[in-house]
Amino acid sequence: MSCITTNSLSKLYDDIAAVDGINLDVKSRQVFGFLGPNGAGKSTTIKLLTTLIQPTGGSITILGTDAIKHPLKVRNRIGVVLQQPSYEPTLTVEKSLEKYGMMWNVDRKQRKDKVEELIESFDLQEIRKKKNEDLSIGQRRRVQVAREFMHEMELLFLDEPTSGLDPSARRKLLDFLKNKVKTGLTIFYTTHVLTEAEYLCDKIAIINKGKIIAVDSPDELKNRFGDEKTIKIHIAGIQQNLLNLLAGIQDCKIDFNSGTNITIHSNKSELVLMEVLQLLNKNNVIIEDLSAIPTNLEEIFIKAVNDSNASSA
Amino acid sequence: MHPVLRLVNRNITISLNPGFLIWQIIFPLIYIFVAGFAYTSLIDDVPFENTKLDYPTYLATGMIGFNIMNSTLISGIIIWNDRRHGMFEQIMAGPFTRTDYILSNICTIGIVGILSATIIAFVGYPIFFDSIEFSIFTIPTLIFTSIFGSILFGSIASIISTRLRSSEGFNVIINTVFLFFAFVSTAFYPASGTPEPLATAFYLNPLTYLVDVIRAGIFDTFSNFIIIEMIVLIVLAIGLFSIATRLLTRLDF
Repeated sequence: MSCITTNSLSKLYDDIAAVDGINLDVKSRQVFGFLGPNGAGKSTTIKLLTTLIQPTGGSITILGTDAIKHPLKVRNRIGVVLQQPSYEPTLTVEKSLEKYGMMWNVDRKQRKDKVEELIESFDLQEIRKKKNEDLSIGQRRRVQVAREFMHEMELLFLDEPTSGLDPSARRKLLDFLKNKVKTGLTIFYTTHVLTEAEYLCDKIAIINKGKIIAVDSPDELKNRFGDEKTIKIHIAGIQQNLLNLLAGIQDCKIDFNSGTNITIHSNKSELVLMEVLQLLNKNNVIIEDLSAIPTNLEEIFIKAVNDSNASSA
Repeated sequence: MHPVLRLVNRNITISLNPGFLIWQIIFPLIYIFVAGFAYTSLIDDVPFENTKLDYPTYLATGMIGFNIMNSTLISGIIIWNDRRHGMFEQIMAGPFTRTDYILSNICTIGIVGILSATIIAFVGYPIFFDSIEFSIFTIPTLIFTSIFGSILFGSIASIISTRLRSSEGFNVIINTVFLFFAFVSTAFYPASGTPEPLATAFYLNPLTYLVDVIRAGIFDTFSNFIIIEMIVLIVLAIGLFSIATRLLTRLDF
């Protein structure tokens, strides 16, 4: 079942398209990653989907409801952690969790239990009595994300939720989110940290200049954009004439700078590797180490964005 | 619970901090008990409508209006803090409408206004006990002034908070505006006897109208002029509230 559907969704600011006719289809019970460079339109899209701003054109359906006609109905069923910090400076951590639950009409007993549960899950024990204004940026962010789980929801929007978090808190949050998805939650997730997206997301959309330039699972994106592989070979001893010999191999780009390290970039990496190995063997070159570097999301992201920029230029 | 009540609950929780309570109670008490009695040696009786009041009595009743005005600063502070700390956007992404947000602010300032007026009325009661003239209009007048005064000054604070982003700007403007309201009014001294331009300035200030109506309610000195002042209060409160609502509705993210 689709959780979010948009059709030709657009938002103009003074004739500049922040979001330019995007079509999204986010299925339930998955983490949908939304990636893009700074100013690509990620936060504007989240604001549109969470009904904070009205689109210039197109349609938005959230959880089967027309979000433009019935924004409040949508907001009652979603959770939102925006990119910008939000907190009540004078309240303590536990009080702000409790009050947020009250704002969502969670009953008192349930609120009390939830506060304890979230303080435990988000490691907030030590700061539970501290006022929000006295917290560090990372602690405040943890409270902000934890707070959103004070109420039940079917769909959660997270706009760079791990910004300011240390690696351990970051991993803990990602695992917490993974568990929540198992219980039926759908998450729309934006981040700049691509390893996070790779770890967490079932599907990823890449947005650039307000347009979606790729949507697929991380593996499919790797297959699509990551056909060029990198192979590194470390050889024993400096071989002066090897560069000339390697230059004859087709369909690849070979770096051989240090005299002992060969780096091969190729779309036909298997065939090229065979040829290189044969050549090295023929010249009695001893291989000390050989490794194939798998394509990661970061390379895909950069390639997709660069391709998009090149085609729009 | 209705969304507006939930927001009111939240507003009151975040606003009632020790600093605010001290501001609300200690400050007017100093005026009443220190300035009120200290100036008695300089100021004899103060004329008000068709009666004469001793200065502590005059000041204590003025402090009720002054405190209503001060308490409504809370409205501007709530809106400004919500915008500054991202809570306005967060609330609007939650199960609330802008109308809920605006109504919750009015209810909050109304409640705080009535509480402030009640506290000062109780504290000041021993001082104006001798002069008070209870009538069927006394309590309704105090409630009327608390509500309309709160809406009026709360709207002014809200308008300022929607226009300013920096804390310095907000504090400077709020303090300047409210300083003018406090001291260029009949809260501390009567308009009669002051130089003509100053007396005119008194009547360009809504606090003057608020304080005059409160005194009329407490000392039962209703006249046609007081009725006009009540009408001015209502019109100003409605007009400023409309502007504040319009600006809040247009606030962008």
